[in-house]
Amino acid sequence: MNWLSRNKAARGGPQALSAEALQTLERWQALAEPAHAQPFFETRYVVLNTEATGLDLDRDRLLAVGAVGIDGGLIHPADAFYAVLDPSPGDALAGLLGFAGRSPLVVFNANFNRSMLERALSKHLGLAADFLWVDLYFLLPSLFPERLERPGRLADWMAAFEIETFQRHHALGDAWAIAQMFLAAQSRALALGVANPKILTEHAQAYRQKLKI
Amino acid sequence: MSNDAANLLVGASTDFLRNFSPFNRMEAEALAFLAERAVLGFHPRGADILTPEAGVPTHFYIVQRGKIQARQSGQTTVTEYTSLTLGPGECFPIGAISARRPSTNAYVAVEDSFCFQISADDFLHLMQISPVFHLFCTQYIASLLTQSRQQLQSTFAQRAAEQQTMTTALGKLIKQDPVFVTAGTPTRNALERMAELHLGCMVVVDDGRHPVGILTQSDLLPRVILAGFDLSRPIGELMTANPHQLPASASAYDAALEMATHGVRHLLVVDADSVLLGVVSERDLFSLQRISLRQIRAGIDNAADIEALQRASKDIRQLALNLIAQGIGAEQLTQFISALNDALTRRIITLARERHDLVGIDFAWFAFGSEGRHEQTLSTDQDNGIIFRCADATRLKGTRQRLIDFAHKVNEDLAACGFPLCKGNIMASNPELCLTHDEWKSRFGDWIREPDPQALLNASIFFDFRVLYGNERFGDQLRSALNRAAKGNTAFLRMMAANALQVAPPLGRIRDFVLEEDGTIDLKKSGARLFVDVARIFALRIGVESSSTVQRLRQASAKMGISPEEVSAIVDGFNFIQLLRLRSQHLEIEHDADGDNRINPESLNELDRRILKEAFRQARKLQLRLKLDYQL
Repeated sequence: MNWLSRNKAARGGPQALSAEALQTLERWQALAEPAHAQPFFETRYVVLNTEATGLDLDRDRLLAVGAVGIDGGLIHPADAFYAVLDPSPGDALAGLLGFAGRSPLVVFNANFNRSMLERALSKHLGLAADFLWVDLYFLLPSLFPERLERPGRLADWMAAFEIETFQRHHALGDAWAIAQMFLAAQSRALALGVANPKILTEHAQAYRQKLKI
Repeated sequence: MSNDAANLLVGASTDFLRNFSPFNRMEAEALAFLAERAVLGFHPRGADILTPEAGVPTHFYIVQRGKIQARQSGQTTVTEYTSLTLGPGECFPIGAISARRPSTNAYVAVEDSFCFQISADDFLHLMQISPVFHLFCTQYIASLLTQSRQQLQSTFAQRAAEQQTMTTALGKLIKQDPVFVTAGTPTRNALERMAELHLGCMVVVDDGRHPVGILTQSDLLPRVILAGFDLSRPIGELMTANPHQLPASASAYDAALEMATHGVRHLLVVDADSVLLGVVSERDLFSLQRISLRQIRAGIDNAADIEALQRASKDIRQLALNLIAQGIGAEQLTQFISALNDALTRRIITLARERHDLVGIDFAWFAFGSEGRHEQTLSTDQDNGIIFRCADATRLKGTRQRLIDFAHKVNEDLAACGFPLCKGNIMASNPELCLTHDEWKSRFGDWIREPDPQALLNASIFFDFRVLYGNERFGDQLRSALNRAAKGNTAFLRMMAANALQVAPPLGRIRDFVLEEDGTIDLKKSGARLFVDVARIFALRIGVESSSTVQRLRQASAKMGISPEEVSAIVDGFNFIQLLRLRSQHLEIEHDADGDNRINPESLNELDRRILKEAFRQARKLQLRLKLDYQL
């Protein structure tokens, strides 16, 4: 199992979870091992984005999470999630896990988003979750060098794709913009013969190594 | 909580859709139904989104971002257009999905594009619950206006693209492989080939295909026929040696210069090793001459005589085509034509003044009718007059005569430059139209007080005056006098309204259009004029200064409580009719026929026909308003 239940007491234990959250967590833990080698059109991705008090991983804390599902290469507005952590972070994170299932997670800047989320999961749920992460920070410049040659900020990519969103710097608002870019990325990747989540992640990692970051 | 998230995304889709017709008019419930079900997909450049081969469409698409092209495919042509481009807010396929038949178009992303999509079932349900959407789908005219404009542009753009520029390399101008003979070839054989291939010249080359001489058709008379040259002798004895040649990389401009310098009509084009590539003739270069706005302006302003202005007048017509190709709308297009015609007329007046002593006379040259409204098309008679000041009554007669003599010259010169003399003699050389301010004012006053049919006709021509040359203040003063007089006379305006309503838009109850006996519609009489007449009445009633129909409609409607959307629809309708007029006139003039305003709706493509119908509906709406306002 890649999913480890840590000793909850070690970190002072999670806040008391609601019955519903506990149920969701149980269901989530019972989910089957994801098959990351299945083709895009059979894959549901979840675009994840976080809102934090700042950008310092050590000092700042997670405020809210937003997520948008992409199924079969389409964004369904009903397939969306947003939760603020306050006042019951455990319930909010359990809700997110329930929404995400074991889908590959798409983020812009994994370094920040992944760390923020993993720390919060560990702190509030005592969980170490082993998701497959797709980082658009590296994936986009590797697939669309004609738009931006190097990794850039989210705002740069949104401008390059002329993508707008209903609310910038809002976890869900940005997630929606990222989701649209991921649609384009999926399509471009497919044209290059990169046809499943696993190879897609490898593609982004190879690009990252080439940059020596 | 995830419910709130869904609401946010649905809200984002709703906000997007609200920017476009018909979604902005759609019932709240129906819009919510659509936004909740619309999923967003991506289509890379070059991707087929929907093809006829795909069978009955399973989804209905709304472009969110990017460009989708609808291309006619297959053997049977349903519409005359070959391609249409759809942008954000536009949707497809409407006909095919409503009728549950395969699409006749292939829809291809021509840019990386995002589209919302809903299932065919949801589409049909939406039609049921939304009368607005239902109406949109059965008529979908609003979106067609823009499409037709694009369609029109592409037709003309293609023609413009075919017309290359003077910077084109000569190598690209060569139309056929070179035909040549060697110097030893008997002249008869060479001439036979020229005749057979309809060549203007024969090139003579050496063994390495380097040109050594040329024989042109114009050489034949002096050198062969009159000289009694023996045709069995070799062509080498007859040819012009050392023919003019240019490398393939030289420009068309270089070639024109070379031809002009040496007075030759043919140039040989050779490669870097002086091997013959082909022949470029003077005629090949003529077709390249492009005309820019600035060149025409400079040509007009520097013209020393009527011949130069005649050339400029032809250039203006040519420019009109180029401007349509660049996608300029009817409103701007007519303004351009009007601005250039103004410049031309001013130059003619300036030239005429050099011969006619008008020193000490304060006057202005009036344009009336369509010229006065800045709405000249390509075939417009002259309609002009003069206003002048004469403080000393004893000199009135003499002053008027001097102006009339001068006006005769201007009218003749205008006619020479393509503005036919007015059949109704509405010209400045007519003593009745060469008047002082007081005379004009009292004439206008007479028409307003006693609006008999002739007076109303006059009003429709002369009230659209503007100053084209001379003292602008004459125009301003007369305009305010006119507006004062008309505003206070409701009976006159009511008569004008009744007059304007005599011609109804040619919309049929059963057929789309009511046609004239010859199967056509007169776009001037039954189209543009309907808008022009109503706009004039609005302007007189509200006191609008402008003489242009679009400006009159816009300025008056603001004060009359007509919404900006309504005005835009009306203006679009008017502009579309003007564009059709310009287009048909242009094509006719190209074919050397007199440009008139008749159009056979059968000759229009499906799209233009629908829009024309919508334009007439706008005219009807405008007329209805007039009817209600004056209870007619």
